[in-house]
Amino acid sequence: MRNLLNFLLKYNNLIVFLLLEGIALYWLTAGNAYHNSRIVKGVQGVTRGLEERISNVRSYLSLREINSQIAAENSALRNTIERFTRVDDLKFTSVDDTLFHQKYQYTSARVINNSTNNQKNYFTIDKGLRQGIKVDMAVTNGINVAGVIVGCSENFSVAISMLNLDFRVSARIKSNGYFGSLSWNGRNYRYAVLNEIPQHINVNVGDTIETTGYSAVFPEGMLIGTVSDLKKSGSDFYNITIELFTDFKKLYHVNVIGNMKRSEQRELENQFQ
Amino acid sequence: MINTILRFGIIIIILVLIQVLILNYIQFSGFVNPYVYIMIVLLLPSVTPAWLILIISFLAGLIIDLFAGSPGMHASATLVAGFSRPYILRLISPRDGYESGTDLSMSAYGFRWFLIYTTIIVLIHHTTLFYLEVFRFADFFRTILRILLSSFFTIGFILFIEYYRRGR
Repeated sequence: MRNLLNFLLKYNNLIVFLLLEGIALYWLTAGNAYHNSRIVKGVQGVTRGLEERISNVRSYLSLREINSQIAAENSALRNTIERFTRVDDLKFTSVDDTLFHQKYQYTSARVINNSTNNQKNYFTIDKGLRQGIKVDMAVTNGINVAGVIVGCSENFSVAISMLNLDFRVSARIKSNGYFGSLSWNGRNYRYAVLNEIPQHINVNVGDTIETTGYSAVFPEGMLIGTVSDLKKSGSDFYNITIELFTDFKKLYHVNVIGNMKRSEQRELENQFQ
Repeated sequence: MINTILRFGIIIIILVLIQVLILNYIQFSGFVNPYVYIMIVLLLPSVTPAWLILIISFLAGLIIDLFAGSPGMHASATLVAGFSRPYILRLISPRDGYESGTDLSMSAYGFRWFLIYTTIIVLIHHTTLFYLEVFRFADFFRTILRILLSSFFTIGFILFIEYYRRGR
């Protein structure tokens, strides 16, 4: 007993150290997250009030930084608002085409879905009924033909792409005015086919092909492509391959053309059919 | 006696507050975290019994732990430092030994002695602390780098504080 007391007395520091260290290490290594969180929660009540004060003071110190952040965010939001309001104000821009004596209106849109690898390709644009888009409006890439609207929802529209076996557009050779029907043969997304050009007229590689405006979907004089290859077949017509101006793999900003007094033309035509 | 207790009580509170309010938020590039509160262990009078040093260092570490949200890390590291303190003091004792009336300060025992004393204790404390923090030897040399950098800053802060404490 005496020895034990002596021992304790001699090594009391070590014992205290080991005891306290044991407590600390136990706390540290109590891998049980439950115990940890219990302890932390128990003591957080003590430190929370002080920590709140600290963070209050610290938030004052960072006011300048927060200010500049908010300013940047504000300007970004203002830009966004401006973009939206401008789109709503200028729904359609009028074009007075003196070359072909025609008037039409167009609005810009973005392509949000597109394909070129199917036989029947469609693409989707980010405007719909609410923005004044209607079925049968023409879609162009600048002044190059891209497609025709075939369906609209409130805010989106689907257009049939030129790269669709069902797509037809009335097209003519710019230099001599002979017209035919242009379609896609489903092979290469860069090339379309112009049919119904009779063999007695003179066609050269490199001739420009443009729309006729007969269908009242596309205005007159929208560009389609250039003649890249022509063959005389057994029939009376050429086989003309057209290299398209519109690269459908990078189609992004498009114009939607409408309001061409199309209904008036259609009504008049229907009287004679 | 009462005076001394009061004085060291104030020193401990101030050091803990400096650590908790300011230094805990300083983290240069994830390498440098100065832990100046270890100065509590450094400054306790030379006559303090070893068990009291242990208890004080344990409690100080515990408080830092509570604020840092770390379970027992600082407590155990400070305990190791507090436990080794008497041996360090004996190891680097000046020729005349320690006078019971004077503080373990730069003014009493000189800059060189204080620097050595501080460096050893801080290195012991930081080594324990940082290895307990990572709790594995995977990033061994990276941890050594963190220990050295943080120790450098801690020692700098402590010398700075000690210098102005002497001036007062």
